[in-house]
Amino acid sequence: EDAAEESNVSAELVALRKRLVDEWNAWRKRCKEEIADERKRRGKKADVDSDEQKEEEKEEIE
Amino acid sequence: MRPILLQGHERSLTQIKFNREGDLLFSASKDHVINVWFTDNGERLGTYDGHNGTVWTIDVDSQSTFLVSGSADNLMKLWSVQTGKCLFTWEFNTAVKRVAFSETDDQIVCVTEQRMGYQGAIWIFDINREGDGTQQSKEPANMFHPVGSKATLCAFAHVPGMIVTGHESGKVALFDAKTGEEVQSNERAHMDVVTDLQLSSDRSYFVTSSKDKTARLHETKTLEVLKTYTTETPLNSAALSPGKPYVLLGGGQEAMSVTTTSLRQGKFETRFWHKIFEEEIGRVKGHFGPINTIAVSPKGDCYASGGEDGFVRVHHYDESYFRAKPYGDLEVDE
Repeated sequence: EDAAEESNVSAELVALRKRLVDEWNAWRKRCKEEIADERKRRGKKADVDSDEQKEEEKEEIE
Repeated sequence: MRPILLQGHERSLTQIKFNREGDLLFSASKDHVINVWFTDNGERLGTYDGHNGTVWTIDVDSQSTFLVSGSADNLMKLWSVQTGKCLFTWEFNTAVKRVAFSETDDQIVCVTEQRMGYQGAIWIFDINREGDGTQQSKEPANMFHPVGSKATLCAFAHVPGMIVTGHESGKVALFDAKTGEEVQSNERAHMDVVTDLQLSSDRSYFVTSSKDKTARLHETKTLEVLKTYTTETPLNSAALSPGKPYVLLGGGQEAMSVTTTSLRQGKFETRFWHKIFEEEIGRVKGHFGPINTIAVSPKGDCYASGGEDGFVRVHHYDESYFRAKPYGDLEVDE
């Protein structure tokens, strides 16, 4: 059933979907890098205590 | 799909929320009561009783320690999740339409309604997590009046000190919590009332629903519209689905203007849309009236919908849902 459906999907559509996913993934990568940078920047400003807290948070997120 | 019907509310649902672990589901209703349920079996764990008006909004912190609620009785209340006791009450001049915890659980933001000579306002309160939670300050850390169209939705944005808002006019905006300055806005994000706003887990993007029959995905930093999901019914809620590139949409018009059952069918379904391709994937039936609120478990293993019909439906996904690859092997990042 799935295979039959897949064969109906045109090559153009497959290419379009691939492009959309690639664009999205590239944007997500940029976002994640920015968030990591932002956290680092904020971590430096904060005192030692909250710095440790930030580290813990990061571990959880990853 | 295994649907569980949660019966206990006497009037329509306004907002539902999972805790971080996804084992508890909180529900707010026009019947003045907040309930908490076990997600797994639908059993009611308890109630949070004390509001004297429609409970418009709730949020639970990431540790499942505190619950906050906002109501038409002009009160915002902080509750102990475990004991059901009200720990603190803040009083306003108008209804509290939306509440949300900050990422680190140390602040709450709420929006109060513009009404009877009172300006709408966004309030930010510091939450004292020491002790039993009863020692809170009545005074906000910050408060401001958003300019222009009335704000109906608010949440902490992608960076500390920034609040994202949804407005009656269809606008979404970013405010500096300290100065109250509107730092970014998209006046034409929607063409009608923004009815729901839910952020991604890292808060870098969010989804909104609107009475204009569309839901949209926005980048938080720029408020740029990334994706649009166009349906044929006014939408009340939109939720992101962790683990799958889907958004879940719910809404529907009350039966008044609709005459035939065949037309009515389909209006009250939860719609699954592909987040990236902007295509509808499927629908789940169940409610007898408009869907007012949708939430997806942070673990991505189930979702729940709350209806105008007074029911909450929890749907646990089957194994086939996790295996299914309707679009082949493309891997979409969260």
